[in-house]
Amino acid sequence: MKALQRFSYPIFFVIMALIPHLLNPRWQAVSITFLIFAVVALSQDIILGKSGMFNMGQALFFGMGAYTTAILNSHFGWPIIATIPMAILIPALFGVVLAGPIVHLRGDYLLVVTIGFNIVFVQVLQNNLGGLTGGPNGIFGLGSLSIFGLNLTSQVAVYYFAFIVFLLTLWIMHNLEKSKAGRALHYLREDQLAAESIGINTRSYKIFAFGLGAGIAGLAGTVFAVQYSAVSPEAFEFIQSVLFFSIVLVGGSSVPGILLGVFVMFVLPEIFREFATWRYFIFGFAMILSMILRPRGIWPATFGKIPKFLIKESKHGA
Amino acid sequence: MAHNELILTNVTKRFGGLTAVDALTMTVEPGQIYGVIGPNGAGKTTVFNCITGIYKSEEGSVSWRGEEIRGLTPYQIVDRGIVRTFQTIRLFSQMSVAENIMSGRHIKSTQKWWHGIIPTPGSRRDEKENWLKVGELLEFFNLEEFAAIPTASLSYGHQRRVEMARAMAVDPTLLILDEPAAGLNDKETSELLEVIFKIREQGVTVLLIEHDMDLVMKVTDYLTVLNFGKKIAEGTPDEIQKNPLVIEAYLGSEDDDDE
Repeated sequence: MKALQRFSYPIFFVIMALIPHLLNPRWQAVSITFLIFAVVALSQDIILGKSGMFNMGQALFFGMGAYTTAILNSHFGWPIIATIPMAILIPALFGVVLAGPIVHLRGDYLLVVTIGFNIVFVQVLQNNLGGLTGGPNGIFGLGSLSIFGLNLTSQVAVYYFAFIVFLLTLWIMHNLEKSKAGRALHYLREDQLAAESIGINTRSYKIFAFGLGAGIAGLAGTVFAVQYSAVSPEAFEFIQSVLFFSIVLVGGSSVPGILLGVFVMFVLPEIFREFATWRYFIFGFAMILSMILRPRGIWPATFGKIPKFLIKESKHGA
Repeated sequence: MAHNELILTNVTKRFGGLTAVDALTMTVEPGQIYGVIGPNGAGKTTVFNCITGIYKSEEGSVSWRGEEIRGLTPYQIVDRGIVRTFQTIRLFSQMSVAENIMSGRHIKSTQKWWHGIIPTPGSRRDEKENWLKVGELLEFFNLEEFAAIPTASLSYGHQRRVEMARAMAVDPTLLILDEPAAGLNDKETSELLEVIFKIREQGVTVLLIEHDMDLVMKVTDYLTVLNFGKKIAEGTPDEIQKNPLVIEAYLGSEDDDDE
């Protein structure tokens, strides 16, 4: 089992790195979608899974990143690559500003408030705010990604762009686990009063979680805009937020669990085309069953990421 | 005058019409093991909550090392060297013993929030140092074999020890223990006694609430007795045991139970 765990990640990465060369264009597109939604689900995990805040508006930050790239590219003529920092920073700042007044709310209240934000956001997009968002049709005809004069128009190039973003996200999640900030999020989720009483400023760490989650989701938004060369409001509806929320809950706030959830939700429907119309039905049942049978998710997060030198052999053989 | 005193002056805390703590004045000297005792509902835990910032008292002052700390948040108070445990143990129950103790290193760690995204050699070193400190505490509290075990699956006595280890990880100047012996058997209680003395040897002032009278009389240097939120007596354990008011309010009623 240990060996399996040690080799499963490298094997997974190698397969993911080779996949675009093995697949036809349709499946390449599906793989890109998988990577983008995996990044958004992982960003949701920082807020919901790690910090335990019931955020039902992750599609807002995802959409904000996508629209930032689209608006800067189509209205202001920025190259796509130059929009990336803004597509991270604007949602992150927005996350911080939104979270400031609401993070003290208890689970269910926070849920309702974030749903509200998401709905307002989509309304704003549809009503063509300042003539920038393009109304219900959105913005299309975006430029393609180019780096150092190389025009990366092919789908394979977009795939590798998404893959780099995906690896970057996993790297950040890994760093978070091994840092004071990441542990603070775990502590405040487990027991906020105890966390406060041991010296953790829970409010600022909650805002940090929102900002970080929003920034990563925004970056995924850029990849999304690049893949379709277009953005439109319906991709960032409240129902998308529900999907990300339930992927984290059903998957169980661990990287394999979340990837499994994204796979079931976004890739399986493509494999079984007949299954596509059934996906909400089946995922709905999966949610119900997993909450009853495995309340901590199909693949629960494992704690105990402590240095090896602290683990001593038990005297009682436990 | 020493500067590490905790001075409560006329601290009053009301909940609606109920006065839980009524004009309490007391002084905890550095290096003392100070006890607060009293019957159930006497307001002992409320006093602790007022000191540690969970409640803000309506009146009076809480002064620590010459600084007014009334109205500060709990984490600001921890930052000033006061740390507490809870009567009902509050551990991060799904997390391992080592991680629980590591939470106490939070305010001592030099890492900034952005080290959670991009680590630097400095933050890795800081991480390592703090884990080493956790290792020392595991040894001090004799918890080494449980390092990787989630606290929820430990016995009550071990959970108490983890909670104390977590508090000691802060390197506190004042350690506040809310009924540390509650739910412990005799053997565990005597181990606790040793631990409290060992903590004092490290120069930490200890303030505790306790119901176990044997323990209180053995361990404390000085006592305050509360009844219905008011201080009815203070003094050394010997003086308290002879005080007729205390015997009536507290010790007397316990004798009745024994008969």
